[in-house]
Amino acid sequence: MIRFEKVVKKYNYQDKAAVDNLDLHINKGEICMLVGPSGCGKTTTMKMINKLIKATTGKIYINEMDIEKVDPIKLRLDIGYVIQDTGLFPHMTIAENIATVPMEKGWDRNKIRHRVDELLELMELDPEIYRDKKPKDLSGGQRQRVGVARALAADPPIMLMDEPFGALDPITRGKLQDEFLRLQEKIGKTIVFVTHDMDEAIKMGDKIAVMRDGKLVQFGTPNEILSNPADEFVSELIGGNGSLKIMNLIKCKDIMRSIPNIDVDNSVDEAMKLLLKLGVRNILVTDKGQGLLGYVNYDSLANHKATLKELLKPIGETVTPKTTLQDTLSKMFSLGRKTVFVSGSRGRVDGIITMDDLLKAVSDNDQSSDIIA
Amino acid sequence: MLEFAISRWQTILKMTIDHFTIVVIAMIISIIAGVAVGVLITYKKSWANVILNVANILMTIPSLALFSILIPIMGIGRAPAIAGLVLYTQLPIVRNVYTGIVNIDPSIIEAANGMGLSKAKIMYKIKLPLAFPVIMAGIRTAAVMGIGIGAIAAYIGAGGLGEYIFQGINRGNDRMILIGAIMVSVITIIIDRGLGMVQRRFEI
Repeated sequence: MIRFEKVVKKYNYQDKAAVDNLDLHINKGEICMLVGPSGCGKTTTMKMINKLIKATTGKIYINEMDIEKVDPIKLRLDIGYVIQDTGLFPHMTIAENIATVPMEKGWDRNKIRHRVDELLELMELDPEIYRDKKPKDLSGGQRQRVGVARALAADPPIMLMDEPFGALDPITRGKLQDEFLRLQEKIGKTIVFVTHDMDEAIKMGDKIAVMRDGKLVQFGTPNEILSNPADEFVSELIGGNGSLKIMNLIKCKDIMRSIPNIDVDNSVDEAMKLLLKLGVRNILVTDKGQGLLGYVNYDSLANHKATLKELLKPIGETVTPKTTLQDTLSKMFSLGRKTVFVSGSRGRVDGIITMDDLLKAVSDNDQSSDIIA
Repeated sequence: MLEFAISRWQTILKMTIDHFTIVVIAMIISIIAGVAVGVLITYKKSWANVILNVANILMTIPSLALFSILIPIMGIGRAPAIAGLVLYTQLPIVRNVYTGIVNIDPSIIEAANGMGLSKAKIMYKIKLPLAFPVIMAGIRTAAVMGIGIGAIAAYIGAGGLGEYIFQGINRGNDRMILIGAIMVSVITIIIDRGLGMVQRRFEI
C-alpha cells in the first residue's frame, strides 16, 4: 500500500540526513508504528507520505503510484491526518470541523450531515450534544476523538497519526487506544502511527518500525521485536521485562485449555476417573439442564470423602477470551488463585488458564513466535 | 454654549459629516491596503521586518509634517488628507494582521495543511477568522487615531471639524473650539463602539 524506496531527506541546515536511505513497505489494512527517540526521523518519514515534507531523493509509492506525480492537495484529501495537539479549528463547531474534508470534496449538505452524526456516534459522542459545540467546550480526550473523526470523515484509505494520544493522561490514553483498536477492526485502514512510546507501539501495532538517526533499525511484528530485538538500542527501547510485555500481546483465547464437565449426580470416583483419563486437574460440574454449578479439582477430590455437590467450588470471577495474559495474571494475583476460568457466551465457561500456562506461554515465546493468532 | 451650538447646528452637522466621511473613506482604503499587506508579509517573512519598520517610521512623522509633505505632491483638499490618513493608520492594521496571523497555534495550520486545504483556503477559512479579534483591535486603534488626526487635516484644506476648531482658534472663540473637540470625541466613541460590537460578534 505504502512503499518507501531508498528515501533520503536532508535539511539544508544539517549535514546528516534526517531520514537516511529508508526502505519500508506498509501493507494495506495494517497499523505500522514508527517508533524511536526524538529526532530519529519518524515524524519526517510520516510527513513525507502526504508531502508535507518533500523527500530529497528516493521514491514513495501509494498503491504503486509515485506520489511525486500527485498534486499535494489531492493527495492529502485522501489521507486522514491526526496530530498530537488535535489542531481542531477553534472558531468552528465540532460538526464543521469534521465536515472540513467532505466540504472540500464537494459532498452535498445532507450527506455531510449524516456522515458527521455517524462519526460522532462511532466516537461515542452524542451528536445532539456535541455537534454544535466548539472545541474549547470539550475535554482533551473528547477533542482527540473529534480529531480522529475529522480525519476519518471522507473515509480515506490511509491515516497518518502523529502521536495522537501523546498529550493525554495515562487513563484516557489507554481508553482511547482500546477504542481505536476496536474501531480499526471495523474500518481496516492502513495506518502510519508515530510514537516515541514503545509500549504504545507494542500495543497498537501490527508492525513496528524502530528508527534511530534516520535509519530503520528493525521492522517486524511486535512479537518479533520483543522476542528478538535487533540490537542493544532496540532492547533498551523495549526496556526491561520484555517477557511481561509479551504477556500484553497474547490473549487468553490463544492459550486457554478446554475443560471437561460432569453431571453433579455422578460419584466422586467417577469424576476422579474422568480427570485421570483426560489428564487434567479441574472439572466443571453441571446440573441436569447443563447449567453450570461450579467446579471441583483433583486435590479436593483426592482428599475428601464427600459428594460432588459438597466439594463444589464457585467459578468466581472470570476473564474473557480477549483478556491479555498480563491482565489475567493480575486477576490471579488479586483473586489469590492459581487458576482462572475463561468465560464464554451466555454464562458458560469456555476454558481454563493456570499460572503454569502463563509461564509456559511466555517462555515458549522466547524460542518461537507462533503463539499470536 | 448650548444656545450657540443650536444656533449653528447646520454648520456643525455639515462639518461633522465631512469629518466622518473623510475618516471613513480613509479607513476603508487603509483596511483594504493594510489587510492585503499584512497578509502578504506573512508569506514572506523577510519582507515583514522591512514593511513593519517602514510603517513604524511613517507613524513617527508628526502629522502636520506628513500633511505638509503631501501638499507639493497632491495639492490641498480632501485627497491629500485621505492619503495622509491612510499612510498614518497603516501601522496598527498591518502589524495586527501580521501578528494575529503568525501567532495562530501552528498545530492548527499544520492540521489544515495536512488535511489538504489550499493556501488560499487556509487563509480565508482558518487564519483570517482566527486572527479577526486581533485585526479588529488594530482597526479600532487605527480608526481612533484617524479621527483625531483627521482634525489636523483641516490644515491642508480638507474641511471637517478641524476647520471649525482652527476657526475658533483664529477668532479666539472658545465655544467653537470646545464644540469641535466634543464632536470629534463623539465620532470617536461611536466608531470605536461600533467596531467593538462587530469585533465581539465574531469572537470565538
